[in-house]
Amino acid sequence: MFKRLSLISFALLLAMMGMMLSFSLRSTVAQDATATPAPTETPIVAEIGAGGTHISFWNGLTGSDGVTLNEMLAKFAEENPDVSVTVEMIAWNTLYQKLQTAFVAGTYPDMFLLHASEIPQYASYGVLRDLGDQYTSGGGWLPDDDLSETTMSGLVWDGMIYGIPLDNHGRGLWVNTDMFEAAGISPDPATAPTTYEGWVELFQKLTLDANGNNALSPDFDPENVVQWGYACGEWINVNFIAALYQHGGSFLSEDGKTITVNSEAGITALQQTYDLIYKYHVTPPPAGFDTWQGFGAGTVAVLPTGTWYRNQSLLQTDINSRAWPNWQFGPNKATWFGIHTFMVPAGLEGEKLDAVLQMIQWVSEHQIDWAASGQVPARLSAQAALDPENYPSNILLGQTFSEYGVQDPQTTVTQELLSLLDAGLQEALNDIKPVEQALNEAAELMQEALDRG
Amino acid sequence: MFGIIKQKLPGPKRFTLPFSLSLKTREVIAAYIFLAPFLIFFSIFFVRATISSVNISFYDWRLLRPTRPYVGLDNYVDLFEDEIWWASVGHTVYFTAITVVGTTLVGLAAAVAVTRPVRGQGFFRVLLYIPQLMSVGAIGLIWNWLLSGQFGVINYILSFVGVRPINWLGEPDLVLPALSLATIWWTFGFPMLIFIAGLQGIPEQLYEAAKIDGASGWQSFVYITLPLLRPTILFVTVTGVIGHFQVFGQPYIISGGGGPGRASWTVIIYLYQQAWVAFRMGYGAAVAVAIAIIMAVITAVQFVTISRRVEY
Repeated sequence: MFKRLSLISFALLLAMMGMMLSFSLRSTVAQDATATPAPTETPIVAEIGAGGTHISFWNGLTGSDGVTLNEMLAKFAEENPDVSVTVEMIAWNTLYQKLQTAFVAGTYPDMFLLHASEIPQYASYGVLRDLGDQYTSGGGWLPDDDLSETTMSGLVWDGMIYGIPLDNHGRGLWVNTDMFEAAGISPDPATAPTTYEGWVELFQKLTLDANGNNALSPDFDPENVVQWGYACGEWINVNFIAALYQHGGSFLSEDGKTITVNSEAGITALQQTYDLIYKYHVTPPPAGFDTWQGFGAGTVAVLPTGTWYRNQSLLQTDINSRAWPNWQFGPNKATWFGIHTFMVPAGLEGEKLDAVLQMIQWVSEHQIDWAASGQVPARLSAQAALDPENYPSNILLGQTFSEYGVQDPQTTVTQELLSLLDAGLQEALNDIKPVEQALNEAAELMQEALDRG
Repeated sequence: MFGIIKQKLPGPKRFTLPFSLSLKTREVIAAYIFLAPFLIFFSIFFVRATISSVNISFYDWRLLRPTRPYVGLDNYVDLFEDEIWWASVGHTVYFTAITVVGTTLVGLAAAVAVTRPVRGQGFFRVLLYIPQLMSVGAIGLIWNWLLSGQFGVINYILSFVGVRPINWLGEPDLVLPALSLATIWWTFGFPMLIFIAGLQGIPEQLYEAAKIDGASGWQSFVYITLPLLRPTILFVTVTGVIGHFQVFGQPYIISGGGGPGRASWTVIIYLYQQAWVAFRMGYGAAVAVAIAIIMAVITAVQFVTISRRVEY
């Protein structure tokens, strides 16, 4: 009996291990068969130039955008042989942590790139240099009117300008043009619906079950969907912010002291996305569904994502696609965008400060090259100079950011607020809690965080 | 014949203490000298850090904020009233219970299997231990893919028996068992190794005597192996609870930071959120102290309940 027990245990364990290994191998082989060209690897640390004045630069550009920026910095180093740069690319969340500990330890970089929404937090700690003197209004080189009002508003905190913007990066849609044509829908963005009902109908036409029925058909089987019209899972908090403003809501009260995401507008905005999942069955729930993989595998027709998807769509998938402006679910137009912003530590001075400011100016004046990353250059003159053949998504989405873009709230605890909001939205959209309850609970926690400051 | 002339050469000068010490005292001093390198590092990087954490927990401590007001026990009071904290404790206890029982049973079964004289025994021991050597990052990525509701291998296998795709990481009721499964696969190698050592320590004569008395294999396992493995089981379960209670990497990587929602938030995910997302270091320190207390209590309970019947 003992021997038999041993043999059975052994056989089961071996089967388990073997199964894992064989399927891993099988998948690897299968993936290789359809592999697209590998992207240029983004180095974790890049040493650029060999000049005596050395700049350390931290950013969170771990994707192909990091490669683009490094190429730009290499050109800068060629033109400025007295300067060398060590660029460290660190995932954003880790960068936030590393920066705080680095400032405590006094080992902070000479310059860094953050999102404009983090300006209030770092500015309130007194660790950022006021860069107002770089703008023409302060006697500097950067024309204030070369930035849109929406961009400029994100850079100012407590009356001072703390950043030099690199780009506007924000939300839009990538649509699978083959699926649109197969469904008899024009892929021209000019034909995009302007109401929630119109978008629902569009998604329903594009959602197909295994029998080929779309979601408008009475025979549609929502339990057996093979093609989703939409995929709501990526960055649900920024999608929510866009819908919130579209319905006339806001993140904060005008005095900035009260969280207002759970207003009637907020509940309507969230309920609409909830309905897309559970009432209309045109998108899977967010958890457990990778939207990029879904779009790349041809199982999603409309992908809400960011400007940075440009290179992915061109280089990493065989899908025929094009960019559309973000959807409009409410009566007003609104789309979320953020700003990658150069920041300089308050303690930097002398030769290094001069070199840092020189490099920031150089990059700003060559922002048109930054469009290759997929992002929209922050300067309006660079946006206007973009080639429509090569940069259609940058131009199309950039216009929406300038015209009706909304950003994350300006508070000293924005990251915490977004994290709490995200958890609440996840609970609602994964059907863990009712929409109103999830939003109210999230708002209560966010209010506590805001009050703590 | 020449005689051998023994000449006493002067030896190295011996250091003598001006006072005499007993042999036991000298042994104790020697032991501490050997332990000194470890104790120095332990004191600097563990004891000092622990004391510092306890101290920080009494302040509203933000990393870059110039003022750090003393708040006494407020952080602990807030923690006690925090529903998300208690939910995280519940998830952690649930996860720890599944994984400790799972790794103990699978580890024991594997140890029994590879302790019997089988051809290629060493190879199979290594094969079964390999997952334990992998980093949580690698394990996380592998299992994220295995459990994927879209393209996962597990759903692919289940499709052969007509099971529709299951959203393992998207269903609040399934996510912790799914993470536990991944963890058991990853970590059963360590208990297996300990059980192998335990099994090898059981005298063969006991099994021979039992066989002569007509005991079956199962009876030998239940009445000889298990009782004599109790110290090993105690060690495996105590170290298992301590290890699994501190789970972080699996929910962080496999279920996207503890999702869906907060369904797989564990106490360390909660700590991470407070200390490194909200940057509330004082509150985070209070969470860390609370976790240490909970683990100490659980370990004490384990010792009391299991060690009563352990024969060392």
